[in-house]
Amino acid sequence: MIPVAFPELAPALPEILLAVGAMALLMFGVFSGDRSSRTVSWLSVLLLILAGIVVAAGGGAERVTFFGAFVSDAFSSFAKMLILLGSVVAVLLGADQNERDGQARFEYPILILLATLGMLMMVSANDLIALYLGLELQSLALYVLAAFRRETVRSTEAGLKYFVLGALSSCMLLYGASLIYGFAGTTSFDVLATTLQQGEPAIGVIFGIVFLAAGLAFKVSAVPFHMWTPDVYEGAPTPVTAFFAVAPKVAAVALFVRVMIEPLGGLVDEWRQIIVFIAIASMVLGAFAAINQTNIKRLMAYSSIGHVGYALVGLAAGTASGVRGVLIYMAIYIFMTAGTFAIILCMRQKDRAVEGIADLAGLSRQRPLLALALAIFMFSMAGIPPLAGFFSKLYVFMAAIEAAREVPILYVLAIVGVLASVVGAYYYLRIVKIMYFDEPTEGFDRTVSGEVHAIIGVSALVTMFFFLYPAPLLTAAATAAAALVKG
Amino acid sequence: MMSDESLLALVLALPFAGSLVVGFLPSNRHNLEAWLAGAIALAGLAIALALYPAVADGKAIRVAVEWLPTLGLDFTLRMDGFAWLFTVLVTGIGLLVVLYARYYMSPDDPVARFFAFLLGFMGAMLGIVLSGNLIQLVFFWELTSLSSFLLIGYWHHTAKARDGARMALTVTASGGLCLFVGVVIVGHIVGSYDLDRVLESGAAIRSHALYVPALVLILLGALTKSAQFPFHFWLPQAMAAPTPVSAYLHSATMVKAGVFLMVRLWPALGYTEAWFWIVGTAGLCTFVLGAYLAMFQQDLKGLLAYSTISHLGLITLLIGLDSPTGIVAAIFHMMNHATFKASLFMAAGIIDHETGTRDIRRLSGLLRLMPVTAGLAILAAASMAGVPLLNGFLSKEMFFAEAVAHHSSSAFDRVLPYLAALAAMFSVTYSLRFIHGAFFGPPPADLPRQPPPLPSWMAAPVALLVSACVLVGMFPAVTAGPFLDSAARGVLGAHIPTYSLAVWHGFNVPLLMSVVAMAGGALLYLALQRYLSSGIEGSPLLRRLDSQRIFDRIMIALTLRAGRIGLETAGTRRLQPQLRLILGVACAAALWPLLQLGMAAGPLAPSALDPALTLVWVVGAACAIAAAYQAKYHRFAALILTGGAGLVVCVTFAWLSAPDLALTQLLVEIVTTVLLLLGLRWLPKREEMVEADRHRTPRVLLRRAADLAIATVVGIGVAAIAYAVMTRPAPDSRASFFVERAYTEGGGTNVVNVILVDFRGFDTLGEIAVLGVVALTVYALLRRFRPAPDSIVSPEQQVRQNARAAAAGPRQPADALADSLLVPALVMRLLFPVIGMVAVYLFLRGHDLPGGGFVAGLTMSVAFILQYMAGGTRWVEARLIILPVRWIGVGLLLAALTGLGAWAFGYPFLTSHASHPTLPVVGKVPLASAILFDLGVFVLVVGATVLILIALAHQSIRTHRPTKPEPAPDHA
Repeated sequence: MIPVAFPELAPALPEILLAVGAMALLMFGVFSGDRSSRTVSWLSVLLLILAGIVVAAGGGAERVTFFGAFVSDAFSSFAKMLILLGSVVAVLLGADQNERDGQARFEYPILILLATLGMLMMVSANDLIALYLGLELQSLALYVLAAFRRETVRSTEAGLKYFVLGALSSCMLLYGASLIYGFAGTTSFDVLATTLQQGEPAIGVIFGIVFLAAGLAFKVSAVPFHMWTPDVYEGAPTPVTAFFAVAPKVAAVALFVRVMIEPLGGLVDEWRQIIVFIAIASMVLGAFAAINQTNIKRLMAYSSIGHVGYALVGLAAGTASGVRGVLIYMAIYIFMTAGTFAIILCMRQKDRAVEGIADLAGLSRQRPLLALALAIFMFSMAGIPPLAGFFSKLYVFMAAIEAAREVPILYVLAIVGVLASVVGAYYYLRIVKIMYFDEPTEGFDRTVSGEVHAIIGVSALVTMFFFLYPAPLLTAAATAAAALVKG
Repeated sequence: MMSDESLLALVLALPFAGSLVVGFLPSNRHNLEAWLAGAIALAGLAIALALYPAVADGKAIRVAVEWLPTLGLDFTLRMDGFAWLFTVLVTGIGLLVVLYARYYMSPDDPVARFFAFLLGFMGAMLGIVLSGNLIQLVFFWELTSLSSFLLIGYWHHTAKARDGARMALTVTASGGLCLFVGVVIVGHIVGSYDLDRVLESGAAIRSHALYVPALVLILLGALTKSAQFPFHFWLPQAMAAPTPVSAYLHSATMVKAGVFLMVRLWPALGYTEAWFWIVGTAGLCTFVLGAYLAMFQQDLKGLLAYSTISHLGLITLLIGLDSPTGIVAAIFHMMNHATFKASLFMAAGIIDHETGTRDIRRLSGLLRLMPVTAGLAILAAASMAGVPLLNGFLSKEMFFAEAVAHHSSSAFDRVLPYLAALAAMFSVTYSLRFIHGAFFGPPPADLPRQPPPLPSWMAAPVALLVSACVLVGMFPAVTAGPFLDSAARGVLGAHIPTYSLAVWHGFNVPLLMSVVAMAGGALLYLALQRYLSSGIEGSPLLRRLDSQRIFDRIMIALTLRAGRIGLETAGTRRLQPQLRLILGVACAAALWPLLQLGMAAGPLAPSALDPALTLVWVVGAACAIAAAYQAKYHRFAALILTGGAGLVVCVTFAWLSAPDLALTQLLVEIVTTVLLLLGLRWLPKREEMVEADRHRTPRVLLRRAADLAIATVVGIGVAAIAYAVMTRPAPDSRASFFVERAYTEGGGTNVVNVILVDFRGFDTLGEIAVLGVVALTVYALLRRFRPAPDSIVSPEQQVRQNARAAAAGPRQPADALADSLLVPALVMRLLFPVIGMVAVYLFLRGHDLPGGGFVAGLTMSVAFILQYMAGGTRWVEARLIILPVRWIGVGLLLAALTGLGAWAFGYPFLTSHASHPTLPVVGKVPLASAILFDLGVFVLVVGATVLILIALAHQSIRTHRPTKPEPAPDHA
């Protein structure tokens, strides 16, 4: 054997922790059966929090291990904190909901742990192969999660659809990666970054970028690779949908940003055209297609498509402040989305979940606090100050306009973004109108657990009062962005 | 005593804090909430008044707190004379509105919410006025949109309130977003969002290429907020709000925010053609149109709403004229309009409150029933009409003087005085209509309610405001002079134009215009009597233009229709179009750089085509196409054809001198095909859908042709790219490293095998461990020895064959199955030792020639599985004892121990040693310590593969569900 130094494991400690913990919990679950699902859920939450503490303790220093394939820096730490947060929310939401539906299975938190592990590896990937490994690990877990309610047709259909389309997109991503390897001769991000900076890029590399971007666009559900989103969001069980909307989205966006900025940073002019196109298409489609929806989960799907479009505006800028904008956007997006889905979980009548937007009618009179929280989330998603959603849009648009000095197309991007958010505001406000102005129908059950209420409360407070003390998030995002965009 | 700075912060903080407190009070404590709200407004007013000395001489108070540090944005409050004037208006009129609302709101209304919203609104407006940077201003700007939405929709049980609130929010919040972009562009030009910096950089902004877009966006914000033509329509709809809210919206807040912003930014953005034309035209249109429409309103509040539009048009026009005197006049008119319009709305509210109606057609002669209100309202309306000795007259005279002055030599300038006089005439007419219609004439006949005695405090705010109108109107220089002066200094700096605040300026053109407007307005009112008394709703000419309807239409077209189109074109729940889209987009995306950059084959020449290989490939391609064609109609055939295509790939690998790869691929092909075949048994047949498709309608044909086209294009594209890659020299990779060292360091010439067992031995150890785990998992999943009863019936062919066998005579149904593979079975049994020999051969030569433990293991397991295939599971297991789990264990141990063995000799884990001893008969044999490791691999691969295949084989013992009695569908 060719002797090699044993790689340093410390930078990957959160991942190792999650992997070992997930397997230990799996064993525990297997041997104690489904009645242990509550225990496994709480242990999973603890494990995720522990991983979060390790990430935080690791700080922002850049550490590379596994022969350059794995990097832990401020950027990945920021994204990992968000992902872990989203996963904690998903486990908590799922524990409650699954139990009430008689679906308490210990596999649910474990699948989330495995998906989370994949996401952490994704955001730390420093090599095309590591990227693919992380991506597939999370995707495989997500396919299963989407079909978690396997006795319902909608859920199995969602899982299968997601699998077929996801496999196709993975295939394109892999094809793109192999083209890049074929022309550049390496899969390492660091080497790619220096190789691709020299001279005119080979056409094969451009092809590679196109396919890589197509695969990644599928994962972040950007137009025109968004088709699966509404179906999967609607079909999957609500806690799973909440998970889909939060953690994998952050992970995929972070991965997208890293791939574009780090190895392909020298080709920013080439890939910017792609990003500008998908950002515009996502913002516009997300705004218009959501209007006619009657199912709130489908509506959230289109809304998430739109949000990804806004986040990509920051990436299109290609600058440190653009990356910072993306990170801030995703951080705020997590809170709004987690809170909204927690409220969707509260939409139960006579012990059955309902998902119609019309079912929210008159909520303000029956559950004023719940209605207030949802109104806060909706106004925030519409980007109306002083709520957090305004700041998330502020930062990406500012970054785009700043960078527009050199790249005039970004003005178009910013203006389209603002116009799309006007249309978007319309359907967010429609929900507020229905809650506050329409005649109430049957009230919702009051059986939701304390965890769900806590999630709603915390997200609403963060969304509402973000403007009072935004500095910690902003500084963290700035540091993370600086780690990625050097010089 | 607090410093000016902290007082300033307090002015802004108080309303928000109050809003929170009031919001949580019980909703039936009317007095408490009103007192609290009033006290806050009063405190704000008092603080503002106390701050006057600090801003009187043109200086500004500033407070800055760090807010968004990464953007370099501080939370800055800045109060100069202009901001001070607005602070006083907002808090002062706010105080009066609170007082008025205390008596106006019915005891049934949840007033806690009302006062909370009102205070929030007051705070937001103060935020706009006091903002020291532009982003913060936009922030509060949207906050006013939001709180006005809540206030207008306060009585949300009425459809009018809901629609009005939504329209107001849609228009003003959209405008606010435009403003936001505009402000960001300005900040981008200036390099700072700080108001002082922006105001200093007027020259830089005006000369920048982005000046016009920025200006247009900012003006869109200001004009929507101030209800200027063509965005005026939301304001009349907003009168569905409770009257105190209307009084506040129309006087000191909301609509004033737009004109406030224009005056505020005029030093930075004004003095240009674009400003003159956009602002001036919008103002003039609004001024005339608003006044015209106001004349024909039947609702008192509607009349006042349109008059607000018209007066704001006047202010906008003054700002648009681009002259310092115009700005001064605009500021003065803002003050005056705020006072008389607030009092008029309150008076209209009192009339509504007392009589139950606001319809001018039903009201008359109220002078006798409510003399105090009537007197005050008449004075306020006279001020609105511009009657001398009232404040409205003064600013109107300033406006006339400005209108006749020279601005630019254009048609605009020539028609301006006439249009100004015309609109002024209209305003006299509608003021007369307000006064005459409501207060004079015969006593009212059929009022919905008989006027109860008026709470005296309700009229107090009106009286205060009207007395302000009169005082300013009579003694302008004393009462309003200093404040107007400080406000003008705040905007214009030290260079204030000369203007005179006097009631009498002598006989001049403006006075003449006033006289003409008065006389003309009175005559017009007489002339219109017949039309107005006919009771038609709306104005002649423009009656059909219902702005509400147009707005709704546009909204529907923009949102619902576009949404539907978007959904139809880009949203479908069906998987096939989704796949088509993904492939199509990927194809187009790849085509695009190709068209831009072009692509040629690389410098390497391809080797000559071998006819045999070509034939094989033709067969493979045919298999692939046929598989795709059959995928929908006959899954089994499609699967077998896919297997055929896979085999061609194996052959190609072998052909291109990669036998390891070929063998591995072969195994993968076999295992996946078998797995899929097993899976097929569980799939439903979907007869109906396929049947429907068999009728080759043009639609079906077209769809399949399109799919074929997509597949062809994508296939050719992928092949072309692959060709282009392969005809280029491969970039420097690790391969040469291993090729060079395989023999010298690993003692073998089969590089692949050396890599597997030596260079990357550790990886291989991990891989075989995984292989073992996978085998165990498959075994567990397929539940080796406890097959559950099958859930499906016997295959159709088997059913038919059994039926035929039964018909043929004495044969048992199972006989056909037992005899089916008689000859091949015998051959396969004979082959067992031969295959075993081949496996050993492959294993031994593996280090130097194609072969090795992995391939040998696969071969060996094929020997086993052939026995299963030939004899059936029961036959084999009766004669052969295979313990695959032990094979796995032994293999893993062997591999690991070999690695550990290196430690015994003091080398690192998995270090290998190589030599080539000569064996009798066989000859020279490569022998490296790696061969032991390879043996471990061999044993494990045999164990794992056999375990998987046996688990699969056991599926055949599963019994089928009994065949249904009814005959199988006939497919002839």
